[in-house]
Amino acid sequence: MSSVRFRFAFSLIVGVALVLGALFGVRSILINDVGYFETRNSPDSDEPEASGPDFEVIYSGPSIEGQSITVYSGRNEALIGPLIQQFVESTGADVEVRYGNSTDLALLIEIEGQSTPADVFISQSPGAIEYLSTEGLLTPLPNELIEAVPAIFKGEGGDWAGLSGRRRVLVYNTELVDVEELPSSVLELTDARFAGRVAIAPGNSSFQDFVTLMRLEIGDDPTLAWLEGMAANNSPTYAKNSAIVDAVVRGEVDMGLVNHYYMLRYRDESPGAPGDNHLFADDDLGSAVLVTGVGILDDGDLNDAAPKAFIEFMLSEGAQEYYFKKTREYPVKLHLAVPAFLHPLPSEEDAQTLHFTELADGLAGTQDLIDRSGFR
Amino acid sequence: MKTASGVFRRLQGFWILLVGLAFLGPLGYLIYENIRLRPDFAELLGSNRLWRPLGNSLLLATTVTASAMVVGTALAWLVARTDLPGRRAWAVLAPLPLVIPSFVGATALIALLARGGLAESLLSPLGVSELPQLAGFWGAWLTLTLFTYPYVYLPTYARLLSLDSSKEEAARMLGRRPTSVFATVVLPSAWHAITAGSLLVFLYTLSDFGAVDLLRYETLTRSIFTNRLFDRPTSVAHALVLGLAALVVVAGERRLQRRAGDPAKEEAPRRFGQMQALGRLRWAALGGVAAFMLFSLAAPLASLGFWMMRGLVNLGRDVGVVAMDLSSLAQATLSTVLVSATAAVVCVAVVLPVAWQSIRNRSSLAKATGVLAGVNFALPGVVVALALVFWALRMPFSEQIYQSYPLLIGGYVLLFGSQANQAAQVAVTTAPVRFTEAARMLGARRIRRFVSIELLLMTPSLAAAGGIVLLSVMKELPLTLLAAPTGLSMLSSEIWDSTETLSLAQAGVESLVLVAASGLLTWLLVIRRYRFGHST
Repeated sequence: MSSVRFRFAFSLIVGVALVLGALFGVRSILINDVGYFETRNSPDSDEPEASGPDFEVIYSGPSIEGQSITVYSGRNEALIGPLIQQFVESTGADVEVRYGNSTDLALLIEIEGQSTPADVFISQSPGAIEYLSTEGLLTPLPNELIEAVPAIFKGEGGDWAGLSGRRRVLVYNTELVDVEELPSSVLELTDARFAGRVAIAPGNSSFQDFVTLMRLEIGDDPTLAWLEGMAANNSPTYAKNSAIVDAVVRGEVDMGLVNHYYMLRYRDESPGAPGDNHLFADDDLGSAVLVTGVGILDDGDLNDAAPKAFIEFMLSEGAQEYYFKKTREYPVKLHLAVPAFLHPLPSEEDAQTLHFTELADGLAGTQDLIDRSGFR
Repeated sequence: MKTASGVFRRLQGFWILLVGLAFLGPLGYLIYENIRLRPDFAELLGSNRLWRPLGNSLLLATTVTASAMVVGTALAWLVARTDLPGRRAWAVLAPLPLVIPSFVGATALIALLARGGLAESLLSPLGVSELPQLAGFWGAWLTLTLFTYPYVYLPTYARLLSLDSSKEEAARMLGRRPTSVFATVVLPSAWHAITAGSLLVFLYTLSDFGAVDLLRYETLTRSIFTNRLFDRPTSVAHALVLGLAALVVVAGERRLQRRAGDPAKEEAPRRFGQMQALGRLRWAALGGVAAFMLFSLAAPLASLGFWMMRGLVNLGRDVGVVAMDLSSLAQATLSTVLVSATAAVVCVAVVLPVAWQSIRNRSSLAKATGVLAGVNFALPGVVVALALVFWALRMPFSEQIYQSYPLLIGGYVLLFGSQANQAAQVAVTTAPVRFTEAARMLGARRIRRFVSIELLLMTPSLAAAGGIVLLSVMKELPLTLLAAPTGLSMLSSEIWDSTETLSLAQAGVESLVLVAASGLLTWLLVIRRYRFGHST
C-alpha cells in the first residue's frame, strides 16, 4: 500500500516538474524567437516609469476617525484598492468594501433599498450609477464638493460625480501600420483601405456607449450605415477591449477601437510591446470620453460626514493624480497637468460624452442596431 | 419502535417541505419581478428577441450534453474498470476541468489558438500556419464540453467503483469483447449515474454566461445579462422563460428516469477490483485519454502558465505578478478552501433526505423539490443571488443573517442543490433495500441501520456529490460577489478582478493556485473515499 502511495507521489512530482520544464521551454522560445520581451532592456525614453513616484494624498477635512463606511465598488480592487487604503490611513476611518460588477451591484442596491449596508457606490460606467439616480436612490452632493468637476462629468441632479475618465481611441500595431494612414475621424474606418484591419468589440459596454453617442449625434440611420459599413469591411470582432489590445500587439489584427488605458497598461506589463494609441480629432465621435462615478446612497442615515469625506478624498488632487500615475486614466479635474504619454483630453466644449438619461432608452436600440448590422 | 420510525419519517417530510419552499425562492422572485415590471409578453412571444436565443440555448445545451455524456462515461469506465495505465493519476486529474471558470477557460483557449498565440508558436516549426479560431456555436460547444464533462464523469466513476464486477467477469468468460462487455453489462448498470450527470451538464449549459459571452453565441442567458440594467422587463421575462424551460426539461427527465435505478433490484456488491484487460487497446485508450485531457486541462493550464511567465519577465519592476500580494493570495486560498468544503458537506447533508425519499419512497414532494433544485441550477448565478438577497431581507432576523457566512452557504445550497441531489440519488440507488431489510429483521434501529449500512454503501457516490459541489463553489462568481460577507475575498473573485484589469499574469497565478487547491481537495475529500472499492 505504502509503495503504491509512494509511486503515486513520485509520479505526481515528476509530472509537475515536466509541466514546469515545458513552460520554461515555451518561455525561452517566446523570448528568443517571437521577440515579445527583447525590448525590456531598452526602454523607450518617452515611456513613463510604470511604478511611478508614490502618490500621496493629504486629507484636511473634519475628523471622521473611528467612523465606518461601507463601499460597494464596481471598480476593481486592483484599480482603487490602494487609494481606499490611503483614505483609511490618512483619516482613521474604517472602510469595508464589496467589489463586484457595477451593474450587478446597482441591482443589488436597488433590491436592498433603504436597508442597504452600502453608504457609497463607485461605478465603472456612467450607466450603472445613473440608473440608481433615476431610481431615486442617491443623495444630492453638496455643491462645494463637486464644483471643480466639469458639468459634463457629473450627474444632472448633482447626485454623483465622475472620478476618472476614459477616452475612446484607435489602438494600432506600430510595426504593421504607418502613422500617416491613420484617419482623423472614426467615420473613415469604413473605407476600403481599412478592410479586415480594424477590430471591434460589439458586446463591450464602452463600445455600445460609443455607438449610443453616435446615434444621438448623427441619428439612427447613419449610425446603422456606419455599423453595416464596418461589418461589410470584414472588421474582426473580439469579446472585449483587452482581447483586442492583445491581438493588436500580437500582430493578429492591425488596429482596434478601444478605451485608451488598455494599451498604456499593457505597456506597463510588457514594455516595448509594438502598440500605440491613435487619437481621433478632439471633437470627433471616436474621441468620446466616458467616466467612472461615485455617489452617496440615500439610506435614511442623516450622518453622512464620512461618506462625504470619502468623496472629497477621491476628488482631491492627490487621488486624481493617482489615476494617471497608476491606472492610466484621466483625472476628471481638467485643469490638472497630465504626463505626456496621456495625451490631453478634449476641451470641455469639444468633449463628446454621454449621460444615462439619454442612454436609458438608448441601449436596447443600440444593441438592436449592432445585431442588425451583420457582425460575425 | 414503530412510533420512533414514524417520527423519523415525519421529520424527514417536514425537512423536505422546508427545503422545497426554499428552492422555490428564485422562481418566486422572478414571478414577483415579472408582475412588478410587467414585460409585454404578447410582444415578446411574437418576436425573435425571445425565440432565437431560446432556440440557441436549447441547441447548445443538447449538443453539449450529448458530447459530455459520451466523454464522461468513457473516461469513467476507463479509469474505474480497466487496466488503463496511470489510473490513479487520471482519477485525480479527470474531475479538475470542472473547476476552471468558463470565462477563464474560454479566454485561455481563445488566446491559445489565436494568431501569434502559444499554439502557433509551438506548431509553426512543424509547418502549421492556419489554426481554427474559437467562436460562435462550435466554439461554445467545444469549450463547454471540455469543462462540463466531469458532471457525468464523477457520478459515473463513483457508481462503477461500487458496482459488483461478477457480471462483467461472467460476460468476459463467455468471450465477450471489452466493447461488448461495456455495452451490455456496464452501461445499463451505470445508466442512472450517466443520465443524472448529463442533466447537470444540460442545466449548467443553460445557465452559463462566461463562455457564450466571450465566444459571442446569443443564448437566453446572454440576453438576460445584456438587458439586466437597461431593459429590466425583458431581462426578467427571459429569466422566467429560462426557468420554465428548465422546469419542463427536468420534469421530463424524471419520467424517462423512472425505469432506471431501482434499489429494490440492486444486488449486494460481492466482488470489486477485477479489471477489464484492454489488451492491445490499452495504449490506444491511454492516447485517447491523454489527448482529451490535453485540451480540457493541459491546454488551459499552459495558457495560464504562459501568462504567468510573461509576467515574470518583469522581475525587478514593481508591476504585474511581481507586485502580487502573496499574503492576500494565501488568505483567498484559505477562505476558498474552507467555504467550499463547508458548502459541499452542508449541501449534501441538506439534500440527502430529498434524494432518499425520492428514490426509496417515491415521495412526490421530494421529487418536486428535486425539480425546483434543477430549475435553480439552470438560472444564471446572478439571478439566484438577487433572489437570495430579495428573500433574505424579508426574513425575520434579516439584520443578523444578511451578508453572513450561513446565508452564503445557504445560497450555494440553493444554487447547487441539484448537483448534490442528482449524485445523491445515484448514491441512494446503490444501497440495496434487502440489506436494510435484513438489518431490520436482526433488530437494528433505524438510525443505526442508516449509519452502519446505508451510509457506508453510499459513501463513494455521496463523495462524488460533494466533489461536484465543491468544485462548483470554488469557481462560483456572482453569488460570491453579491452575497458573501463584505470584505471576504475568494480565489474566484481574485481571478475575475485580475482578468478584468488585464493583469493576465496575476490571473494565471491565481487560476493555477485554484486548480492546484481543488486537485488537492478532490483527492483528500473525494478520491480517497473510493478506496474501499479500489483496494488492491
